[in-house]
Amino acid sequence: MNSIINDSMAFALPLFIIAIGGIYCEGSGVINLALEGLLGVGAFFGGLSFAMISTQLGTTTNSMIYLSLIFSMIGGGLFAILYALLAIRFKANQVISGVVINMLSVSLTAFLANQLNYSLFGQASNKFMLAVFPRVTVPFLNKVPVIGAFFNETYVFEYIIIAIALIMWFVLYKTPYGMSVRACGDNPQAVATAGRDVNKIRFSAVIISGIMAGIGGMCFAYSISTNFSPSIYVGYGYLAIAAYIFGNYKIGQTLLACLIFGFARTFGYLIVQALALPSTYSDLALTFPYIVTLVLLIFFSKNFTAPKGLGEVYEKSKR
Amino acid sequence: MLKKMNIFQRIFYAFCGEGKARKLRTSIFCILASMVFGGIILLLLGKNPIVAYKSLLQGAGILPKIKYPGRKNQLTDILNLLDYTTPMVFASLAVAVALKCGLFNICVSGTMIFTGILATTLVGYSNLDPFVARILVVIIGIVGGGLLGALIGWLKYRFNMNEVIVSIMLNYIINYIASFVINSRYADPISRESVEIGQNARLTLMNFEAMGLKMNISLLFPFAILVVFLIDFLMKRTKLGFELKSVGTSPLASKYAGMNVKRTMILSMVISGALAGLAGVAYYLGTYGSIQPRVLPALGFDAIAVALLGFITPIGCFFASILVMIFQCGTSYLSSRLGVLREIASLITSILLLFSACAVYFNQKADSYHNKFLMEDKSDE
Repeated sequence: MNSIINDSMAFALPLFIIAIGGIYCEGSGVINLALEGLLGVGAFFGGLSFAMISTQLGTTTNSMIYLSLIFSMIGGGLFAILYALLAIRFKANQVISGVVINMLSVSLTAFLANQLNYSLFGQASNKFMLAVFPRVTVPFLNKVPVIGAFFNETYVFEYIIIAIALIMWFVLYKTPYGMSVRACGDNPQAVATAGRDVNKIRFSAVIISGIMAGIGGMCFAYSISTNFSPSIYVGYGYLAIAAYIFGNYKIGQTLLACLIFGFARTFGYLIVQALALPSTYSDLALTFPYIVTLVLLIFFSKNFTAPKGLGEVYEKSKR
Repeated sequence: MLKKMNIFQRIFYAFCGEGKARKLRTSIFCILASMVFGGIILLLLGKNPIVAYKSLLQGAGILPKIKYPGRKNQLTDILNLLDYTTPMVFASLAVAVALKCGLFNICVSGTMIFTGILATTLVGYSNLDPFVARILVVIIGIVGGGLLGALIGWLKYRFNMNEVIVSIMLNYIINYIASFVINSRYADPISRESVEIGQNARLTLMNFEAMGLKMNISLLFPFAILVVFLIDFLMKRTKLGFELKSVGTSPLASKYAGMNVKRTMILSMVISGALAGLAGVAYYLGTYGSIQPRVLPALGFDAIAVALLGFITPIGCFFASILVMIFQCGTSYLSSRLGVLREIASLITSILLLFSACAVYFNQKADSYHNKFLMEDKSDE
């Protein structure tokens, strides 16, 4: 039971933080299919910084792990600027440019990981080895039944994510900036009338989504494989998109959707284990979260209200 | 005070500005710009870009290589290129048909695996007569892909589901189920891929001996050319084609004009799916002959780029396919000649994509130059 909750949370929370970035971006009216690529580039930067620092110093410490998290945020944010340029400045079709960014990030990180491993570290590999993320146990709280499992041997990044998520929630719903982000998605002309620059607000929202995707990607790299390799692109970014669409672009409901995905994934593996099926069946278990998403979307898609201005390029002169 | 365009603006305007064959010129601009970018990367790696691009063309059979292994020459290289291009032509057409109708079919990869595994398991290992088996494979490709496309279109219309999300979920579901099927029944212990299919079902004649050469001849390539013209005809000359474009431009206006938007959307996804299915059989039962489990074919995603580069027209898609496949076929020769990583080709391809996604912006920018510089010219006179 403990391991179910732990595994599910370790998967659901990074997904959640990526989805929050997506809510900012789509809330401001920019479709963001680029999350998949942004999380990969974020993880690449984090992995690279960790590998460089650890080879320089010859040791690994916990502070370096947190430093790599910061670098992954920077990397995700920088790459998001490229997407923002395409989607906002160059007025490219947002769906297409999102997919383009994904493809570019896959080929760019695969190329750079190979090339940098070769030229910096002299290895023929496309991986950056990472350390194990520190885990903590919160005393007393871990004795609470059921919920206590979450406080037992938990990755520190889960608490970091929760803290950031709370801040992001506050910013989006309780500050003037958050208000104008949401207004940009529904009625950009009104925001312009109020004297704010729509494209600037959208630009910042896209960069925020890149930063969030960077954290999420790095946490996936730490928790799932403890290395960065191009195999990080397995569709978690798309899963995050499904999560916030399913959560109706609201942060609270999105958390619920992410938890569903997290538990669906763990249960899929558990079923394979419990029935003592051969290892080939783990492929079937992997389809579980995707099928759950699809089925849930069938039932709930009718009720969704996307931001009204989603996907529309903002033209000042348009009425 | 009359402003003059500087040299860069002049070049840019020459390619993207108003005038004849604007789409073609803009595409060429995108290609050249991405090659310049690729060249800068190659320079940074300390390689000569001109030699690199030349060996790319040599590897793809456009230019003659310095020396050939026995029973191979430039002709066999070109035939290889056509063999690799065939699935790309179908895949890019699949993307283009859906895009014309305002739908984004990102499930091309999933559809390819779907029809690939269907045809492989149903026909690939049978002892049918070669003629019958090949016809069956093609039919499975068209029908299987069409059904999958219909499913996506129906989900989109009936349940208001975002077709992009549906396509992505289906991609992963199909990918994992196919890998389960392969690993549990058809896995080859050495290559870890599915067991290679029999020659009777293969859509490419492997090592066909003629004129003292060993050639791989794609039987589907002539069919691909035919399909290009068929889709072109469908888009330009038929009622359905007009409705497709109309729904793509404005679903509401089309509905108001009395068109059946639902039927048109589903039909466009059926056609798109059938084309993607053809790409699948051409790829897995033609070019390769086996399926690698747990790997979504990158070709399905590259096809988006190719369709964009071809300005979403069938003829454009055909030539863009050949161009992109030249990049990909020439890579191994390039990397062995110059010692650069194989990933450089896919990197240049995605930069190319980046530029072609901005094509509309380039045209707008050129138009603004037109207003800024050339109109003033006239008013001065």
